[in-house]
Amino acid sequence: MATVTDQAVGASLVGFSLLLFTYYSIWVIVLPFVDADHVLHQYFLPREYTVILPGVAALVVLLCIGAFVGAVMLKNRKPKKVD
Amino acid sequence: MLLFQEYHGIGLTSYLCAKLSWLSKDGLIPVPVVLREISNIMTKLLEWVFGVSVVGAAWAFVTFDILKMSIPRTYREVAWPMPLYLLVTFGCYSLATVGYRVATFNDCDDAAKELQAQIIEAREDLRKKGLKF
Repeated sequence: MATVTDQAVGASLVGFSLLLFTYYSIWVIVLPFVDADHVLHQYFLPREYTVILPGVAALVVLLCIGAFVGAVMLKNRKPKKVD
Repeated sequence: MLLFQEYHGIGLTSYLCAKLSWLSKDGLIPVPVVLREISNIMTKLLEWVFGVSVVGAAWAFVTFDILKMSIPRTYREVAWPMPLYLLVTFGCYSLATVGYRVATFNDCDDAAKELQAQIIEAREDLRKKGLKF
């Protein structure tokens, strides 16, 4: 059995991704078929953000990965040998 | 000579080749030979590229209205973000799979402790026999 923190982290990841998937699916696929004056539209941002938000998120992820790789490479530099 | 149910490649073309091999039993139709040659060219990569281009072309035709098919506006409104939507879906699926595997990981605490004890025991034993650590 995984530790309690592991289970909590795992469950929160699953829950978060389910939430994200449901929100994004309704936003992209369901909303165009719903009338413009329906109350559902007020819970969703304007449609341009379906492209902008994942784009910004992808950039942030790439930045984090690059920073991590850079930090690890800096840490593992071997000092120059003195002959 | 290719036997009936044996097929040596992976993928669709080599499967078809095996199924159609009865055609060339008397050397009548060289179809399986041709298909076998194609399956050596048609790697998995090419199959994927082919599939992706077909789907991509279908999406492009709908989004940019290339054939002037006059699809209703709401369907086009759903179609144009599709590649991005599929990417987000794949990301969510990956995240959910990682989370699930982390939550259901099978730690064996007892086995870990036993292993640590055995390592210490082995180290002592080797030190007595003269191996320097």
